[in-house]
Amino acid sequence: MSKYLSKRILSSLLAVAGLFVMVFFLARLTGDPGHLYLPIDAPVEVRKEFSEKHGFNDPIYIQFGRFLEDLSEGNLGYSLRKERPAIDIVLEAIPVTLSLAAVAMTIALLGAILIGSLAAYKPNGLFDRISRVVSLTAASAPDFWLAITAILIFSVSLGWLPTSGIGGFPYWIMPIAILVIRPLGLLVQVVRGSMITALSSDFVKTARAKGVKESKVIFKHALRNGLLPVITVAGDQAAAIANGAVIVETIFGWPGIGKLMIDSIMQRDFAVVQASILITAIVILSINIIIDIAYAILDPRIRHK
Amino acid sequence: MELIIQKNYFFNKLKKILSMFFNDKLALFSIIFLSFMVFLALFGPSLINESFTKMNLRLRNLEPFSFEHHFMYFFGADALGRSMIARLIIATQNTMFIAASAVVLSMTLGGMLGLVSGYFGGKTGNLIMRIADIIMSFPSLLLAVIVLYMFDPGLLNLVLVLAFTRMPIYMRTARAEVLEIRERLFVSAAISMGASNTRIIFKHIAPLTIPTLITIATLDFAFVMLGESALSFLGVGIQPPEVTWGLMVAQGRNYLQLAWWLAFFPGLIIMLVALSLNLFSSWLRIVLDPRQRWRLQNIGDKNE
Amino acid sequence: MKIKSLSLAISSAAIMAFGSFLSPAYSAGKDITIVIAEEPDIVDPCEATRSVVGKIVKQNVAETLTEINPDDGSVTPRLATSWKQTDNLTWEFNIRKGIKFHDGEDLNAKSVVKSINRALNPKYDCEIRTKFFGNIKLKASAIGNHTISVKTETPQPIMPAMMGTMTIVSPNTQEAKGVRNPKGTGPYLFNTWTPGQSVTLKRFDGYWGDKPEVENATYVWRNESAVRAAMVKTGEADIAASIGVQDANDPKMDFSYFNSETSRLRIDITRAPLNDIRVRKAMNLAVDLDGLTGTIFPKGVVKMTQIVVPSINGHNPNLKPWPYNPAEAKKLVKAAKADGVPVDKEIVLIGRLGIYPNSTEAMEAIHAMLTEVGFNIKIKMMETAGWLNFLSRPYAEDRGPALQQSQHDNNNGDAVFSMFNKYACKGAQSTTCDKQVDAWIKEATAATGDKRRDTWRKAQKKLHQEIIPDIQMFHMVGFSRVNPRIKFTPTISTNSEIQISQVKFN
Repeated sequence: MSKYLSKRILSSLLAVAGLFVMVFFLARLTGDPGHLYLPIDAPVEVRKEFSEKHGFNDPIYIQFGRFLEDLSEGNLGYSLRKERPAIDIVLEAIPVTLSLAAVAMTIALLGAILIGSLAAYKPNGLFDRISRVVSLTAASAPDFWLAITAILIFSVSLGWLPTSGIGGFPYWIMPIAILVIRPLGLLVQVVRGSMITALSSDFVKTARAKGVKESKVIFKHALRNGLLPVITVAGDQAAAIANGAVIVETIFGWPGIGKLMIDSIMQRDFAVVQASILITAIVILSINIIIDIAYAILDPRIRHK
Repeated sequence: MELIIQKNYFFNKLKKILSMFFNDKLALFSIIFLSFMVFLALFGPSLINESFTKMNLRLRNLEPFSFEHHFMYFFGADALGRSMIARLIIATQNTMFIAASAVVLSMTLGGMLGLVSGYFGGKTGNLIMRIADIIMSFPSLLLAVIVLYMFDPGLLNLVLVLAFTRMPIYMRTARAEVLEIRERLFVSAAISMGASNTRIIFKHIAPLTIPTLITIATLDFAFVMLGESALSFLGVGIQPPEVTWGLMVAQGRNYLQLAWWLAFFPGLIIMLVALSLNLFSSWLRIVLDPRQRWRLQNIGDKNE
Repeated sequence: MKIKSLSLAISSAAIMAFGSFLSPAYSAGKDITIVIAEEPDIVDPCEATRSVVGKIVKQNVAETLTEINPDDGSVTPRLATSWKQTDNLTWEFNIRKGIKFHDGEDLNAKSVVKSINRALNPKYDCEIRTKFFGNIKLKASAIGNHTISVKTETPQPIMPAMMGTMTIVSPNTQEAKGVRNPKGTGPYLFNTWTPGQSVTLKRFDGYWGDKPEVENATYVWRNESAVRAAMVKTGEADIAASIGVQDANDPKMDFSYFNSETSRLRIDITRAPLNDIRVRKAMNLAVDLDGLTGTIFPKGVVKMTQIVVPSINGHNPNLKPWPYNPAEAKKLVKAAKADGVPVDKEIVLIGRLGIYPNSTEAMEAIHAMLTEVGFNIKIKMMETAGWLNFLSRPYAEDRGPALQQSQHDNNNGDAVFSMFNKYACKGAQSTTCDKQVDAWIKEATAATGDKRRDTWRKAQKKLHQEIIPDIQMFHMVGFSRVNPRIKFTPTISTNSEIQISQVKFN
């Protein structure tokens, strides 16, 4: 197992390195950051001077060489806009998004397993249909629409919750509710589909014939095998949130990595773009490694390969 | 004599399928709705009088559900006074094209790569999964900005960006399914009988992965439409005067208090399409699975 | 070190997650909360000319030498009490006595000179330099304890107005741009900055001027105008400096104000068919500005006749806005076409998303109106970076004819801040070149008093009537929402600064 783990981690690190290099070159294809950084009225000489000073005029391989040099000294880049090391900015933002993602995914996963299994029990039955329509409707609703409407209803009209911002428990309710909806909707469907197949398989029939209690059949036997695609999709959804719960962060004013990434892309703040992609990649790849380990745990047949 | 038997055979088969349809009313409504959407996509724009899509500032943000104006204004008018119904119909073509192409592309490519990765494993399998990791970590916005900068914004480029960023989920799901299926008895039986790898993958394993992939794809359809909406909102997606439902949703964002219908109706249509697709695919899943088919059939009818 | 900060970050997230029940941060008593649209990336006063920085820092934490009166553009004393021009190239400023910085240092000629040199240091890109002083070679020196002289290589007759942008900071401030705890002379101390969340200012008891009513001010930021408006409505904030017109639906709380922005479509005069004056005339006649007012543009916008707003020195009050006359426009287009002008050539309409509210709708409306009179227009909406590419020199050699959606703001009191860049032959965003206009710009820049003003006016007239380098649109308005418990009236400068000392309680 540890051999597998170390090989896996190594190949992931190579992936991260590859990604990093790709981002470096591709990001610089999007134009001159000086344009955005300096005021529109800045005279042409000031612009030239700026580009010179920061080396934006140099050929790209020279810029890359300088970048590697910085990297070897542990310097991941300096944000021109914020006058701070890029890594500091990113490390401030990532815990916000991670906590949102963790809470939302936990609720979504548990909820989906519960609802999806019950729905799969009687496919096309009443509970199945209702849960399907509700989860699909919620999952395909535009999230900014849900967020702003929620604020207008629960904060402005009813006064039950604060409009936005970070804080204690009441500040979490709306953002988490919005974040949960899409993964919940998708996962309910995946669990349901998976469980339908699992429940009609041979070993479930055997378990039932042996007289095993129905709840045990569902949650112990069927679920174990139905879970593989579910955790894959759950991982993808978690990565999606980690990559940017942008709408929620923007509307509710949570300073997470999604908003940071969008802003820095639009502003061509390359150092922050690179640093945020790097950290996000590490998070996503770690999630994927955990999922691969989960496969092995859940399905002994895979483990012994 | 043979011809008569064949004719009866097809006729009965058709009757069986139709009866399975009617037994699931939701699926029936979905397929009708979807066919209507396809019809609109193909023929809609030519059926609308130009006047309803022209700017008319007097009708700006006209409220829906009023009987004072032409029925085309029943869902209200947008910020430039254009009929919502007309705009929605015109947008159908672009939206369906973008979403369908992106989803089909990512599902096919991603699914195949996932199959290969899961079945063969080893270095190739690993490489494919690492590529999936890289794609997952590359923010779609950055990709869209880069593509926009280097090439001209266009429908095709948008489709490619959306398809590319959605590929990993199919890659990983397909692989996960294959890992599990590969261990089953019938596969080892096929191998011991000397079946080639291609045959095993495409005849035995792939069909079993399709139901899950389709489940994901039908919801992905909605996510792609909404993803395109987000990109258009930031200016790297659809360019006016082209329009999609996603763009209409994005443009209605500022008016949620003043003119809620601007974002509501396109959002509603997106939801209905996603819902229909999913209901239809669910029906399809039951029909195609012999062990589940009984739920839709009229057991106890006269024998065929 | 990085691991430590990472684990610190994670554990603080955990604490946040299971934090105690906190009631929403409603301001009470003599404290106010101001909600703005974005977080300032830095708070260094040498960037205070940027609105996102200025709203927090300008005149609150750090004050300027002089101040521009928002109503008429005149220059009034702030940290400098008086000034005079001793010769063509030199100005002297007298510094107010008895003022101390937040860290106890004295405000005197030496500290002022040090602050000026810091802002203009070419090693760092303070916007005060890059936007206002860019080309000028300037030497500041102390003469005596409370007088400085500012000597330039070229005559700068409006140096006092330019000093309205010069924020003065303590001599102990770090040389490099990016100070995170600025110390100035203003009525408020820079208290805290919680990155991503808020900035707080605290009343400074050693302030030289009148004691303001507000004790503590908290700045928070929310991207969505609807959320900002909601925050003031629920009482979570007291001032939402700028909200969209669609959210300004409460006449008790909402104010509209001229925000010194002027929006227009720049015409690339050098490219056919835009190089034919009939075409440019026709374009201006084709736009129904009244139809756009109160619909796509909010009520209260004023039709422009020139790039500067009426309160700016150099504004020519005798020019009339273009009428709406599509019939005349069609005639002009036909006439041009008959003479062989390629009016059917595709003209690109370059728009910028979010440049002002309803920017996309505005472009679609213009598209419809221009197409109506016979032009072939294609819209290209872009995000800021792409749009900037087309805006300033150097222009692409192979470019086709284009109209560019743009907006310009000048609340610094004089037309010089607009005219060169927009209309001079070498101007950074100029697509026109007229020798006479260039001469007048040069003349006005070096002149004073009436001569200066009249020369500007001559230039405005020629541009409006004979050159027609833009499709003229509006002087824009902005909207603020203010909680009834305080008294605050937005002015033309509200976009760039919010002086908390002007906020009073009801």
